[in-house]
Amino acid sequence: MDLAHLLPKPNEPTSDDTVIAPIAWTPEQQIARMLELCEAQMESALSESDVAVDELIKSFKGLIEAGQALGSQVESTDLAQQLDALRKQTAAAVVAFQFYDKLTQRLGHVRYSLSAMAMFVCDREKSSERDQWRRLFSTLRRLYRTEEERQLFKLMVDGATAEQAREHIQQSTLTLRAAPTGEIELF
Amino acid sequence: MSGSPSQHSRVILAVDDSASMRQMVRFTLESAGYKVVQAVDGVEALDFAKQSAVDLVLTDVNMPRMDGITLVRELRGLSTYKFTPMLVLTTESGSDTKQRGKQAGATGWIVKPFSPEQLLSTIARVL
Repeated sequence: MDLAHLLPKPNEPTSDDTVIAPIAWTPEQQIARMLELCEAQMESALSESDVAVDELIKSFKGLIEAGQALGSQVESTDLAQQLDALRKQTAAAVVAFQFYDKLTQRLGHVRYSLSAMAMFVCDREKSSERDQWRRLFSTLRRLYRTEEERQLFKLMVDGATAEQAREHIQQSTLTLRAAPTGEIELF
Repeated sequence: MSGSPSQHSRVILAVDDSASMRQMVRFTLESAGYKVVQAVDGVEALDFAKQSAVDLVLTDVNMPRMDGITLVRELRGLSTYKFTPMLVLTTESGSDTKQRGKQAGATGWIVKPFSPEQLLSTIARVL
């Protein structure tokens, strides 16, 4: 079907020209656009990963169920040992999969921070007041809920350099490798 | 992970808004012989719990519509759930939130990521 007749002629004003007022160019708006772009890129990457991780979990579950079914059918000491090793690896994989959930949650907080910052910088009156910045940081602090997020936030707000933050992250990663699972407390 | 005969009759309500977490919890508990029912938030969990009895509730904290701490408080208000074990499974390790969970009536607090072995032993302990 030829849809050329629907397109505006070169010098014909479009409805968009008449409705949308040109946005004034300001450095703050450019910063906001960049922050919004970062936020959108994260959302896009996460949506893509969600689909892939879902497939990965289904495959993982299928493999384990197949292993369990095999184990219940065959009586062999060797196979029993191999299934025991498989069970241990499965437990490690269950822990590892949960870090994807943690990643999604942490990136969600970063996305919110970027959106909040984009709105904040566009408000010249607000962003020129020190007290308003303090309020913004206070709001964002409440957003971060995992121990790692809190520590990093405090470090940066207290004035750490990017290099110091990297060192802190490396140290945290080492600690995590030694003890990847969380604490349990019964009341 | 295979369950003892008594575990086969136990029903656990697992509440989490993350699909991948729900799958990990379900996989772990079913492998141990528990029957698992799932809810995506506190509202769905509360609706289910009012209609069917469960033996244990395992809930996340931060969820849309109704968070896990509110869910625990609401369930504790029902006579049928006064003594049901309720475990909170969350990434939050802050003492303030933990304290709020305790006050709401939670039985225990498990910080994610969980180890399947530790989760199962904790559940066995409180059931």
